[in-house]
Amino acid sequence: MRLNALVDGNEIAVDASAAVELREVEPGVYHLIEGDRSVEVRVVRSADHYLVEVAGRSYSVELFDPRDRRNRPGAAGGHGRRSVAAPMPGRVVRVLVCVGDAVEAGQGLLVVEAMKMQNEMKSPKAGRVISVGAGAGDTVGAGDVLVVVE
Amino acid sequence: MRNSLPCYNRVFMFRKVLVANRGEIAIRLIRALREMDIASAAVFSDADRDALHVRMADEALPIGPAASAESYLHVGRILEAARRCGADAIHPGYGFLSENADFAAACEEARVCFIGPPASAIRKLGSKIEARRLAVEAGVPVVPGAGEPLAEAAQARRIAAGLGYPVLLKAAAGGGGKGMRRVDSESDLETSMRDAASEAERSFRSGELYMEKLVEEPRHIEIQILGDGHGNLIHFGERECSLQRRHQKVIEECPSPLMARYPELRYAMGDAALSVARAAGYTNAGTAEFLVDKHLNFYFLEMNTRLQVEHPVTELVTGHDLVHLQVRIASGERLPVSQAEVTWSGSAIECRIYAEDPDTGFLPSPGMIRQLREPSGPGIRLDSGVYQGWNVPLDYDPMLAKLIAWGETREMAAARLRRALAEYVVLGIRSNIPYFRAILADAEFLAGRLHTGFLDNFEQRRSAEIPDAAMARIAALAALRFERDHARRPAAASAPGAGRWASAGRQELLR
Repeated sequence: MRLNALVDGNEIAVDASAAVELREVEPGVYHLIEGDRSVEVRVVRSADHYLVEVAGRSYSVELFDPRDRRNRPGAAGGHGRRSVAAPMPGRVVRVLVCVGDAVEAGQGLLVVEAMKMQNEMKSPKAGRVISVGAGAGDTVGAGDVLVVVE
Repeated sequence: MRNSLPCYNRVFMFRKVLVANRGEIAIRLIRALREMDIASAAVFSDADRDALHVRMADEALPIGPAASAESYLHVGRILEAARRCGADAIHPGYGFLSENADFAAACEEARVCFIGPPASAIRKLGSKIEARRLAVEAGVPVVPGAGEPLAEAAQARRIAAGLGYPVLLKAAAGGGGKGMRRVDSESDLETSMRDAASEAERSFRSGELYMEKLVEEPRHIEIQILGDGHGNLIHFGERECSLQRRHQKVIEECPSPLMARYPELRYAMGDAALSVARAAGYTNAGTAEFLVDKHLNFYFLEMNTRLQVEHPVTELVTGHDLVHLQVRIASGERLPVSQAEVTWSGSAIECRIYAEDPDTGFLPSPGMIRQLREPSGPGIRLDSGVYQGWNVPLDYDPMLAKLIAWGETREMAAARLRRALAEYVVLGIRSNIPYFRAILADAEFLAGRLHTGFLDNFEQRRSAEIPDAAMARIAALAALRFERDHARRPAAASAPGAGRWASAGRQELLR
């Protein structure tokens, strides 16, 4: 059986039955002897994908159904709306815009702080702010949508 | 370690020490105290209830909410914790209250020993302008510049013209690159002064600036010193800390590749460091920072009046435990080692392991460590402050651990570090481990051609890792297996959205 996966954004097809060759030596740690090569693989689950470390390099893996092309991960349409998501977990220090504000591309929308570092989130396009999902003092997770600009 | 055996005077030695810090340095201190048979008391904020230093200490005392100002920086709460647990000394580690002269003075008043220099020496060396004046009086070279604060633009223009551009504006109260600006021409001077002063004001509550001639492509080399209360003051040689990003050290090593070629420089800089320390009435551990130019001229920058983050490289090469020595000196003992007994053997290199993502411009990455495999083996020392399953809080700096390698030669130390970095796994959060793997494979680094602009240049030539198709396939298979082995409950599994295969369906395929 073939399985399609998106590895670091590249679509590949793999033979799923080969997965039985992997031995789980510790929770989330797999070992594989392929040919004569000894390979250790580590997997953790993230929000919507898997993070896999193998041979000192990490890969982002998403598994999807090859029969349903419309819902391929990352294929979501824009329709002129762009959302600005937190690039890191942190705390919102300041919100610089309100719903309804007109903004320029590159204009600061809000400031998120983590680990003594502040990061200003900028508007990806010129438009109007249609939603602000966080207030000053809120704790946010990586990937949380903070502002939507249309 | 030589001369670091616990042969101290038990009568005067502390019985309990409060460790006024967190993370890896708190653990490093607790370890030294345990080796010396001294009880350790940790302090923790609400965000650190489950932190490793709290688990490891003999006693642990809450000191308030997550915000540093309300906990680790709160003089009253730290002193109250010391009083409550009956500690007879406080070790501040680095950062937080370590260079706060008022805190050191408050400890003296509260009759609890501050393990560090006297408040008077911290005060003298705390202002860079004052430290610079001390150095000049002691006959130690400083970077050409104004020995006075900049009052107004006309004065700044006059001084800059005298020095010749480029010049560097620096915050008198500062450090870590805050309030620092390179100025290449007179037309930029006033704007840069305004920017630097407001940044300094925000960071240090003092907008006072001074100006120096910019030393181009300098090395950043510092000298470790240690003095007792009986007039003995010695140095432990240098650490090269030229590899910096945004003025924060990233890799440190001993010896400096420069000293390996010009050993007399170590003694000249060592003497200079001791002269400044003597002039300030210094005791306990301190570090004199210098810039060294291409022509081997060295210039005193400032004195860090605390144990440094990078002290382990000195420990591995000299064989002396600096924390043991700090504690013994603070208890009133004489330095158990003379200058002639300090020798340097082999080479040590340290990497600061941070929770930050090198692929997104080093954005911080707090969160849960889902998988952790820590390196070990010959020549490897890991001073770590984390464990698998711990949630790295977003309230503090991103340092997770320090990885240090020792070898008979610099090449050997680098080879061991490379090997250890290959073993090191931190998953769940992002770390700068892949960045270090790339630096340790860089020809310029391996050749020892270091300067403070090194990492900016490295960033340009660092190539993206080449994807490996065979490994990508194995990664996909492993993700599939993980999904089968650790399937969420069906309700949760179907939540991520239509179109994806349900976990149950995928498991069928594997049967």
